[in-house]
Amino acid sequence: MILVGNPNVGKSVLFRNLTSRYVTVSNYPGTTVEVVRARATYGGRTAEVIDTPGINDLTPRADDARVTLGLLDAHEDATIVQVADAKNLRRALLLTLQLAELRRPMVLVLNMLDELQEQGGHVDTERLSGILGVPVVTTIAPRNHGTDDLIGALARARVPRTPEQIGQQVPPPEAGVGRILPVARDATAQETPYDLNLARLELVKRIVGDTYTISPPPNPPARVRLGFWAMHPVKGLGFLAAVLLAVFWFVGLFGAGTLVDLLEIGGFEQRVSPAAIRAADAVFRFPHAHDSELISHTVGFPLSPAHELPVVNLDKVATRPAYVVPGDTRLNAWQETLRFLHDAFVGRYGMITMALSYALAIVLPIVTTFFFVFSILEDSGYFPRLAIMVNRGFRLMGLNGKAVLPMLLGLGCATMATMTTRILETRKERIVTTMLLALAVPCSAQLGVLLAMMAALSPAGALVWLGLVLGVLLLVGWLTARLFGGETSEFILEIPPMRRPQLSNVLVKTASRLDWYLREVIPIFVFGTGVLFLLDKLSLLSVIGRALQPLVTGWLGLPAEVSNAFLVGFLRRDFGAVYILDAVSGPAPLLTPHQILVAMVTITLFIPCFANFLMIGKEHGKKVAFTMAAFIFPFAFAVGGIVNLLGRMLGG
Amino acid sequence: MATFVACPMCGFDFDRDDTLCSHGCPLGPVCRLIRCPSCDYEFSEIPRRYSWLSRLLGKKPEESSRLPPDVRPVTTLDPGTRAEVLCIGGQQGSRPNTLAVFGLVPETEITVVQLRPACVIRVGQTELALDREIAEEILVRETE
Repeated sequence: MILVGNPNVGKSVLFRNLTSRYVTVSNYPGTTVEVVRARATYGGRTAEVIDTPGINDLTPRADDARVTLGLLDAHEDATIVQVADAKNLRRALLLTLQLAELRRPMVLVLNMLDELQEQGGHVDTERLSGILGVPVVTTIAPRNHGTDDLIGALARARVPRTPEQIGQQVPPPEAGVGRILPVARDATAQETPYDLNLARLELVKRIVGDTYTISPPPNPPARVRLGFWAMHPVKGLGFLAAVLLAVFWFVGLFGAGTLVDLLEIGGFEQRVSPAAIRAADAVFRFPHAHDSELISHTVGFPLSPAHELPVVNLDKVATRPAYVVPGDTRLNAWQETLRFLHDAFVGRYGMITMALSYALAIVLPIVTTFFFVFSILEDSGYFPRLAIMVNRGFRLMGLNGKAVLPMLLGLGCATMATMTTRILETRKERIVTTMLLALAVPCSAQLGVLLAMMAALSPAGALVWLGLVLGVLLLVGWLTARLFGGETSEFILEIPPMRRPQLSNVLVKTASRLDWYLREVIPIFVFGTGVLFLLDKLSLLSVIGRALQPLVTGWLGLPAEVSNAFLVGFLRRDFGAVYILDAVSGPAPLLTPHQILVAMVTITLFIPCFANFLMIGKEHGKKVAFTMAAFIFPFAFAVGGIVNLLGRMLGG
Repeated sequence: MATFVACPMCGFDFDRDDTLCSHGCPLGPVCRLIRCPSCDYEFSEIPRRYSWLSRLLGKKPEESSRLPPDVRPVTTLDPGTRAEVLCIGGQQGSRPNTLAVFGLVPETEITVVQLRPACVIRVGQTELALDREIAEEILVRETE
């Protein structure tokens, strides 16, 4: 069974209903970029279900149709299940007629029946089924309505009538209407896909006229009006500002502030670390004494970067990882070994005190809040409207508004987003977008950390950072577009209706992304911490620090401790960012606001993480990947240094 | 958009793109003459403005003057207007088909949703955002 249909009609939701395997579902065309397969059991039979990327046109020459046509060829005995948006019968039937030419058994599913009814529409499914000669079922996929009907209809799948036969089923075209093209013509004739589709649409018009009525209510619901505002030239900007502010509050202040404090200070520093230290002391015995100090912690409701409404005070005396060995004792070899193991778990670069505390107490809350708010925006249908707003600006970079979708996904994770650049039409657009993703689009954990660091800066400093990153984005985009040359495709984008995000889908999507993220992050954090720990034990850390000193201290004007951040930044940019956040938070911050700005800019532009590098290589070839890395690394330090110099000159 | 030329000899009005000059002629862009398909008289196109000053100060040629009064580009309509599509432009390339698969073909009724920052039109239940340059080539006739 192969699910085929126009983009954004709910194929993936239906797929999930049929197979109970999770696939990402969003409210914009092009979410599914890869073919997804799963096995499903229904009626005592097991069958393979295949979900395909959405297509508008099945003409073999159309790029997006190749994947689908290839799949249909590879599975000759599969039933075609065409999923359609019931509201938009016209476009669905164009595809139906194209599928009918394949002469294979199929079922037509009219999904989104609820939206059709809301719009005052009606489809005569029995008549439609009679005309096409295939079973027609209606579903409301998000509520899992009609899935059983679909399973029942699969057994009745039929080869549809040919276009000529269909033509005989419907009333003849009205007299005097335009030019009527003959419906089926010899495929070898000099017919462009356009001519053929024109002829099909002529027939579709007659079918639709016979089976479909719609009378939209006079007063559009509030969310439709919200959709208009979101792409209005003036209100749209206000809308964008409101969205950004909301994201900043939720991710930057609540997620990266309150929640991180709660988990890091309240969780790790006050409870988990002391417990782990006691446990480690009990197992690895050697003479030493840990410091204890009062760790103050206030949980509050964040109002602005500098103010919060205190709710509850949770001060607690806790054991710190730092310890002293009594001066007159010399440790023997056995005790040294125990000390090594002790430090590996709860030392300065310990697995529990650093790797897990970074991954679970800092990255986890940030990523959770980010993915949550991102999923809501995704499902609401706001992103394509944003594409309209930025289309002009993106033109400067040789892109069109469509590129905003991969870029926004890049705020989640650049690696995933690099794969999504496939929805862009020309190679130039794909390369430019990949470059910008690798260079200047911070991924979620990094973004959250940056937002939290912004809280330590003045609003002016935060604006400077934002302006710099956007400026770099435009400049590098423009340069890359110049270097690569080639065409920018025309901006033709379907705008999905605004929908109320479903909490269950938002939660499931957040959870699945989190699961994937943590699986990737925790091993890397553990590995990176392990590397730092070994370098520290071998006294190599200070050697590297000294080697990097001209660059970090001289050129960027940052304290030598920060070189560790860049070292781990090679593994993941967000690891480096978390390290810097660790250095700026707390009562005695290591960095001045000027230094924070320099560090923020440098780590934002810092080289793409290893996973992204591999993905770039996979999508565009190794040469492109190496060229990008070779450009980005010096470029990040160059920009950071310039910010440092300018800041000094201006007396920052 | 089709550029209409009037033959100075016989007065025949024809589309520049429909002549042999733009299809089969081996001289291609080297030749600056146009041959009238009716009387075969060869003549040069309207001379190009030779200085940037005259381009700057001179009046812009009225492009759409050749269109019948009720046929106009979609970009000249007010948001909320309903209109019937007559021609979708982009004669070369894949654009006509790209628009057709969204249901945007001649004889369809559309509603203009907005014109800026990008043109958005509604075709049936599909809202489609288009570059202004594309929208300018879509010719429509206002309905109702």
